[in-house]
Amino acid sequence: MASNATTYKDLTPAQPLDKKTLNKMVWRSLNLQASFNYERMQAAGWLYCILPGLEKIHTDKDDLSASMQHNLEFFNTHPFLVTFVMGIVLSLEQQKADINMIRSVRVAAMGPLGGIGDALFWFTLVPITAGITANMAINGSIAGPILFLLIFNIVQMALRFFLMNWSYELGSKAIEILTANAKEFIRAASMLGVFVVGALTSNYGGTTVALTIENGDSPIVIQSILDGILPKLIPLGITLGLYFLIKKKGWTPVACIGLLLVVGILGAFIGLF
Amino acid sequence: MSFNAIQILLVAVWSFIVAIDQFDLLESLYQPIVTGAVIGAILGDLQTGLIVGGTYQLMTIGNMPVGGAQPPNAVIGGIMATVFAISSGLDTSAAVGLAVPFALIGQYMVTLLFTVMSPLMSSADKMAEKADTKGIVRLNYLAMGALGLLFAIVCVAGLLGGSALGETLTAISDKYAWIMTGLSTAGGMMRFVGFAILLRIMLSNDLWGIYFAGFTLATIIGYIPDLSGSALLLVAFVGIAIALYDFQTRVAIKQNAGNGGNGGEEDGI
Repeated sequence: MASNATTYKDLTPAQPLDKKTLNKMVWRSLNLQASFNYERMQAAGWLYCILPGLEKIHTDKDDLSASMQHNLEFFNTHPFLVTFVMGIVLSLEQQKADINMIRSVRVAAMGPLGGIGDALFWFTLVPITAGITANMAINGSIAGPILFLLIFNIVQMALRFFLMNWSYELGSKAIEILTANAKEFIRAASMLGVFVVGALTSNYGGTTVALTIENGDSPIVIQSILDGILPKLIPLGITLGLYFLIKKKGWTPVACIGLLLVVGILGAFIGLF
Repeated sequence: MSFNAIQILLVAVWSFIVAIDQFDLLESLYQPIVTGAVIGAILGDLQTGLIVGGTYQLMTIGNMPVGGAQPPNAVIGGIMATVFAISSGLDTSAAVGLAVPFALIGQYMVTLLFTVMSPLMSSADKMAEKADTKGIVRLNYLAMGALGLLFAIVCVAGLLGGSALGETLTAISDKYAWIMTGLSTAGGMMRFVGFAILLRIMLSNDLWGIYFAGFTLATIIGYIPDLSGSALLLVAFVGIAIALYDFQTRVAIKQNAGNGGNGGEEDGI
């Protein structure tokens, strides 16, 4: 379970991270989705990516542990734009900002990048480059795949390095203004974070039921009745139910996953999904 | 057409690499245009590899892995389509058709791995508690290796078993389709555990309204097809406006309170 510490023990800002460490983390950022899973998505990969920086920043072992724990919470962003989130979060970690502040900034930054990244890469860069180079390949030219790899990866790597350095600077500058009104900022950042989690519940929530009740020529579709009450009712209901189990009943995440597995497989067996 | 041991080994190695590449590494080696050429070169027919890869690439452009959805796996689709085009002399669409059962198995493997990795996050939590940085690194590399291995096995099986194996696989997967439906439904719900944990920490009692406001706005925008791609960005703009307003108001109140307090003392009120 996540640590309950809200501040680091050693509050002296660490040395700013050097270029070499930042670049090392850019290379690691390629493997953001290494341990992707349904529960926390990129969380463990995210932690893996920023570990070189965290190890330099937190020389106190308890602080390193606290930082690792809160950086293992749910994380999902666009893999090609992740270094933007990394830079900001690392600058806050380096300044030993309040843990609630770091968490809120991380959650607020990760959500919107997904749509931007999809638009940039999957809807623009890949269709254009692949469209042109695929025709070269069909005509039997080996230049097709080579050009595709070159263009795609030059754009990708340039963006990764730029975003890391830019957002690290940005975070370092912003922190002075923010610490003057830290309490107010943490509250505002939490509001944004909670707002984004609310949006994610709807946006990432694709769970629907396939149940229908026989009714002559017009079978009753349960999902459309539910949508009539409140669209995305099931994602909202499950999230609130799990929140209740974890917060009030002290359930562990593993127990929740076990419950969902049973519900999912039993539900599929009886044709619920 | 039969393949020699070196060719089989090389196909296994390439499958291992691109299986990981579909989520990590360069996230571009796995594209059919590249994989088709490489598999073609390994099997001694680069020309066919280029043509199949290029054609399949054009077919998949409208079918990108957007927003976490899993299309029948394009990685295995690309590899097996090239294999069948070369070994049986089929045209691309026929070869892609034969590759579908294997692509489906590949998709199942991904679903399975993402499910199995979910409870492992608790071990990761324990590593974080002990500040075990090496453990976290190891966990990530192990997950990558497992994915590569699963895909290599499927591709080698396809290479040796041919399209006959594909038919058997289709029959089996039809029979047990409900298990995979169950797993992917459960997988689709597991993210709510992640959300619930975040809320447990971030949600104080007076922020419930904000949570529902975010949910509502995203739901409304989500129902407008043209905005589905930019939904979260638009939501963030509104969220930033609310948060900024709250921040500025509270800072102003704090400063006024300070001034008011001082004035109060001076005026003796």
